[in-house]
Amino acid sequence: MSRSPLSRALGQWVAVFLKEAKDAWRDRRTLRMVLLLSVVQGPLVLLLVSTLASEKESRIDKREIYLQGLQYAPDLQNFIERQAYGIKAPPADAMDQLATGQLEDAIIVVPPDFEQQLQTLQMPSIAIYANSSSRGSSTSRDVARKLLQAYAQERVALTLVVRGVGVASLKPLEVQEHDMADASARAAQLTGSLIPLYVLIAVLTGAMGAAMDSTAGERERSSLEPLMMNPVSPWALALGKWCAVALLAALIALLTSLSFIPAQFLIRSDALQALFRFDLSDAMHFGLICLPFAGAVSAILMATSVRGKSIKEAQAGNSLVLMTFMLLPLVSLLNDAAEPDWYYLVPSLAQQTLMLHVLRAEPIALWQWLLPSAVGLLVTVAALAYVGRALRSNAVH
Amino acid sequence: MILIDHVAKRFAAPAAGAGWQRKGWRIARTPQAWVQAVSDISLHAPNGQITGLLGPNGAGKTSTLRMLAGLLIPDSGRLEVDGLSVTQQRAKAQARMGILADARGLYPRLTARENMVYFGRLQGLSDRAAQARAEQLGDLLDLRSLLDRPTEGFSQGERVKTALARALVHDPDNIILDEPTNGLDVLATRALRETLRYLCSPAGGSKCIVFSTHIMQEVERLCDQVVVVARGRNIAHGSVADLLAQTGQTDFEDAFVKLAFTADPELAV
Repeated sequence: MSRSPLSRALGQWVAVFLKEAKDAWRDRRTLRMVLLLSVVQGPLVLLLVSTLASEKESRIDKREIYLQGLQYAPDLQNFIERQAYGIKAPPADAMDQLATGQLEDAIIVVPPDFEQQLQTLQMPSIAIYANSSSRGSSTSRDVARKLLQAYAQERVALTLVVRGVGVASLKPLEVQEHDMADASARAAQLTGSLIPLYVLIAVLTGAMGAAMDSTAGERERSSLEPLMMNPVSPWALALGKWCAVALLAALIALLTSLSFIPAQFLIRSDALQALFRFDLSDAMHFGLICLPFAGAVSAILMATSVRGKSIKEAQAGNSLVLMTFMLLPLVSLLNDAAEPDWYYLVPSLAQQTLMLHVLRAEPIALWQWLLPSAVGLLVTVAALAYVGRALRSNAVH
Repeated sequence: MILIDHVAKRFAAPAAGAGWQRKGWRIARTPQAWVQAVSDISLHAPNGQITGLLGPNGAGKTSTLRMLAGLLIPDSGRLEVDGLSVTQQRAKAQARMGILADARGLYPRLTARENMVYFGRLQGLSDRAAQARAEQLGDLLDLRSLLDRPTEGFSQGERVKTALARALVHDPDNIILDEPTNGLDVLATRALRETLRYLCSPAGGSKCIVFSTHIMQEVERLCDQVVVVARGRNIAHGSVADLLAQTGQTDFEDAFVKLAFTADPELAV
């Protein structure tokens, strides 16, 4: 009983932390769901992204095209087959199928007098039918358009050559495209928008349950009143509770990040698998990046929950927090220009930007590490000061 | 020793049409309505005695005990525990009290022992001391078979016993109990009564015990002195025999009804 106030407060902090950690650990059903979600989420996201990429690849690799009116365009048929593309006749109700999205491939429709108009230089018209609401149809439409443009170019070149004009005058310059992005950056174009966002969502949803249970849950089960009858320091109480919530959030961040390592073997797109490399070091970087976010978000969720008389009431306030932190990373996804420095001041946007750096294998400067951590620390301290006060003032009612 | 000296407390209450209202061309906040929960309650509870705070529902018993527990700040008046002001030295005063709140508020995923040890640690006990105290209380309150069971699923009586053990874990000199027998059956009530008698005896540490209730039998059988409160103020105080003599009744329930529900100024103290 003759302990100094500091050692007493430290003892209380440890006691609160151990109790909250034990309480969260014994809430097996919630814990199981949260951890399962964090482990399964990564592989699922990658599987989804890679399936989309793989579908696009296979559509391009398929080298088949629907062409209606083949008998009216033998020269075009010859050209397409020379490009190693197979030609298929569309089904009888192709247009209906295309309109309803059942058929995903675009259809080239050749008019009956195509060949005749072509010979007499009357600029025959060829139609491409596609459904822009279908991703596959758009890819197939691009392939059809390129083939027809190449055919038109060949026709012009042949006509000019016959009249003694050199091909060089038709094509006065040659454009060479060089992609300066390395493999990681190209892979990040596909995965960068989703993977960091899902890590952040996992942290948010994982922390929310524990944050509500340790604050609004105390009021719901009427345990806050007896708790506040103890001579416990508000800081020890808020800090002990926060440590347990933040520990869970940090664990979820690490588990979600680690889950992307085995998940990359589920990638179904060959190109993406060749480009996407995510190793233990990347997962550790992700975990470190998310630490200040996990801390800040745990404190914020506790602060928004602490005035709730029940978990249900707290949930309403927390949905706003969740939505805000989920929407903030979209700022960087919508911005094609170089990222401004203020991104590093905004929790979740800063973490999204830093995780993109890791995915692109770009170096991270010391200030880029420190600034989000400092912001996270400030937010945490402010939110916990509020939680400490609010726990006492809300003990009754 | 507990001293409650002329305390008063009012609460803001949601008024009809609360919020904002139009006053001419401007919008103003609706004036708050106030409920006077406690107008003027006093009590002096010495060590080694059981003091009953008796009153009908809504008399201000729980609000008074919450002020004593340091959860509410009184609008006026003085609250002291062993000479320590509850409002000015709250933490020190709280360390000298063991309070069984109206809301028992056990942690359902923790065992009875863990509930006790947690509060013991918050009261400044070491883990070892808190564990040893949990064992002692397990024997004192006949809780031994429940110690290592999660409190989820406990009966009302088991819940009250565990909450009482948790309140006593730091061996406080002052014990405050808010409606302790609510929901208890006859046997559990008798056992609790025995425990309280033991605790205020010299063998049990001559504790100062204050308990609020609206049940006459408990007061008759247990209390050394009774403070009767109604409508937020003291109506009478003394031993059960004194109160019977004051009202000229032979039945304590009749005496209480006469004191609490008739506005006889001669009976007011």
